[in-house]
Amino acid sequence: MSSGYFKIAGGTVYDPRHGVDGQVRDIWIRDGRIVEPPSDASVRPDRTLDASGLVVMPGGVDMHCHIAGPKVNAARKMRPEQKRKAEKIVRTSNTRSGTMGSVPSTFATGYKYAGLGYTTAFDAAIPPLAARHVHEEFEDTPCLDKGFFVLMGNNHFVMESIHRKEPEKLRSFIAWLLGAAKGFTPKVVNPGGVEIWKQLPSGNVHGLDENVAHFDVTARQIIEQIARAVDALKLPHSVHLHCNNLGMPGNWRTTLETMKTFGDSRGHLAHIQFHSYGGGEGDENTFNSKVVELVEYVNTHPNLTVDVGQVLFGETTTMTADGPLGYYLSNAFKSKWFSSDTEMESGCGIAPIEYKNTSLVHSLQWAIGLEWYLLAKDPWRVVMSTDHPNGGSFLAYPQIIQLLMDRTYRQDMLKLVHPAVLERSTLADLTREYTLFEICIITRSGPARILGLANKGHLGPGADADITIYTPNDDKTKMFELPRMVIKSGVAIVEHGEVREPLTGKLLYVAPEYDTSIETDIAEWFEKYYSIRFRNYGVPLDYLHDPEEIACD
Amino acid sequence: MLTLRYKADTSIPVEIEGLTPTATRNLSLAEIQRFELFHGNRKLPLAEFFDVSGDPSDARLELEGNLAGVHWIGAQMSEGEIHVRGDAGRHVGSEMTGGAIHVHGNASDWVGGEMYGGLIHVHGSAGHLIGSAYRGSTTGMTGGAILIDGSAGNEVGLTLRRGLVAIGGACGDFVGANMIAGTVLVFGACGNRPAASMRRGTVALLGQNPPSVLVTFKKSCVYQPTFLRLIFRRLESLGFAVPAEYYAASYGVYHGDHVAIGRGEILIRETGAAPQVN
Repeated sequence: MSSGYFKIAGGTVYDPRHGVDGQVRDIWIRDGRIVEPPSDASVRPDRTLDASGLVVMPGGVDMHCHIAGPKVNAARKMRPEQKRKAEKIVRTSNTRSGTMGSVPSTFATGYKYAGLGYTTAFDAAIPPLAARHVHEEFEDTPCLDKGFFVLMGNNHFVMESIHRKEPEKLRSFIAWLLGAAKGFTPKVVNPGGVEIWKQLPSGNVHGLDENVAHFDVTARQIIEQIARAVDALKLPHSVHLHCNNLGMPGNWRTTLETMKTFGDSRGHLAHIQFHSYGGGEGDENTFNSKVVELVEYVNTHPNLTVDVGQVLFGETTTMTADGPLGYYLSNAFKSKWFSSDTEMESGCGIAPIEYKNTSLVHSLQWAIGLEWYLLAKDPWRVVMSTDHPNGGSFLAYPQIIQLLMDRTYRQDMLKLVHPAVLERSTLADLTREYTLFEICIITRSGPARILGLANKGHLGPGADADITIYTPNDDKTKMFELPRMVIKSGVAIVEHGEVREPLTGKLLYVAPEYDTSIETDIAEWFEKYYSIRFRNYGVPLDYLHDPEEIACD
Repeated sequence: MLTLRYKADTSIPVEIEGLTPTATRNLSLAEIQRFELFHGNRKLPLAEFFDVSGDPSDARLELEGNLAGVHWIGAQMSEGEIHVRGDAGRHVGSEMTGGAIHVHGNASDWVGGEMYGGLIHVHGSAGHLIGSAYRGSTTGMTGGAILIDGSAGNEVGLTLRRGLVAIGGACGDFVGANMIAGTVLVFGACGNRPAASMRRGTVALLGQNPPSVLVTFKKSCVYQPTFLRLIFRRLESLGFAVPAEYYAASYGVYHGDHVAIGRGEILIRETGAAPQVN
């Protein structure tokens, strides 16, 4: 008789949330979740996987990537030359065909994430107007549980509420908007700057206290007020912030000032690598790392978390809601350019670029990312990301792991980059090597905790049975790029790199409570300015595939 | 010599990408018969479409029959020779790096698309986008020579980076558009907007009644360029017909396109005597 149990027996388990650091354990799974071993010793599992000698970790969690929605689709269309020459994803009896390159197609994205042992991913920048499209694409992105952050930092209603000093209205609007989009948390991108870009030729804001014309607010006010509203709504994740002045020499001062702006509020600073630059006035010769100054602040402020946005050398495609940044990059690289204005909500810029190890700036970006990992004292608050595909593909995660775990490899790589990196960053002096326990934190347990996902990133009873099993190897790139098995919701979805059962995955969303009387105001404003009708805007719950509400408490 | 006689009768595209002299030279005939082609979106063995005979070891491949529906002939080839005795489909010699392809008939679009080196000689006419960049690419053909004895369609040499394209007959609009460098010669009539947005390189319009040059080109002089005579000799050595009077003719030079960086040139064959040089 079927017991319904699946047992992973005798694996070397890493479960940082429960302090398990490479101890041999059995893991029992039933109904898609990890459970206590059956109290009756005579119960036999339906399937037992002998994991002796293998490394067992929770499934990976990518908390900041760009994998769905109109910007990703525009980037896909923009790079036919890259897709033509990239690996082809050929249809099999249980998988769909797809294309790769720096912006893989939907199904390919799911298969490739799962192939690396990742089972959860969050798209970091979705204009709510595109939410319906994103949910449709997510349904075609298999093997992953998914969610997205909702762009709000340049939303007209948000800025008007801040200007009128109506925090309750702002809070209710944020809650309504998250609920309408079925999103996860507010994303703030270059607050105020994108709005100015939409108003003026080459417009932007360059500091936290610069006035955003027409709305008469500042970036500092936008960050402060949204962060407070997010905490008041008890959202599982904090506000997710892309600071002003991304990529500009000398932007570390803005970043530090932004960190201080959070006060006691929770805040997540995305792709912090791109915001940690010294120098100024556009002079490349002064460009240097300011990680030491910034990481000290993060180390001593537990309300702040970061993901790195590691740069890897090679071709990629940048895509951002930071419209002026897209324009800057397309000019700098003399590449194609896509720009979009999303009505009352956001902007968007896309440009292909290439990071070269012969470039001082690119080499420093690479080094600054690694400095963040190696100088951060608390691995629970620094998360592995490439800001896929902006810094590089998520497919580079195994290489980053090797750079962190293998000092010799890192030093060898350091010899291949621009020599001035030795003087302008501290990377050459850093001898720290990550342990598997720490890698497990920065790739799954940490991001799950930061996102407020109680059932992800650990292997305790009640957790989703998202598990990755690796074959140990001194070559960490090889170890992490080809897991022995990937289990999603208790089902073996990948074995030896081959997709066996591509589950669709769940859609993770929040539904915070709010004063519904605000909807009258919103509807009136909405009907005046939007291109679609208010009643067609929100995404109903039955439109989502396999939704799971994450509680706000 | 390996001979493949096309025997299929299908309106669905047949794609033979990968069937190059290098790929076949060490295969037995049985292995070549099992070589997988795409018929639409299905993979099928080559023997369902071709009768196979001969010896592939000399890296010479003969394709016989009406291959107008067979695409990617010689794509990515690096050595040897391919002769097509009949019409050929799209993408002949696409991205090839070496060797020679002779089409003894007509070819369709994208002949030598993003070609790197080698020779393609179409003894009939060809379609659009000869030697061009594929959609999205920043560079087209980067080396080698494409000779079309007959006429060609639009956008010949689009975003050409290097190499030589010669069209014996007429060609359509936008020849040499967005050219980065390289040389395109048109011996017959030519369509509108030649060399639009070219950065560098040479587009030579040698036929009667050339089209108007865009206003963003500026006439510099009339002269008898030596390099053109060298190119004519090279073309003749490759079996491409060049009228004798073209050697002695004078050519008007128009520099542009000034909407780009303006370092390209259009040469237009002028009737009348060559200017005197004092």
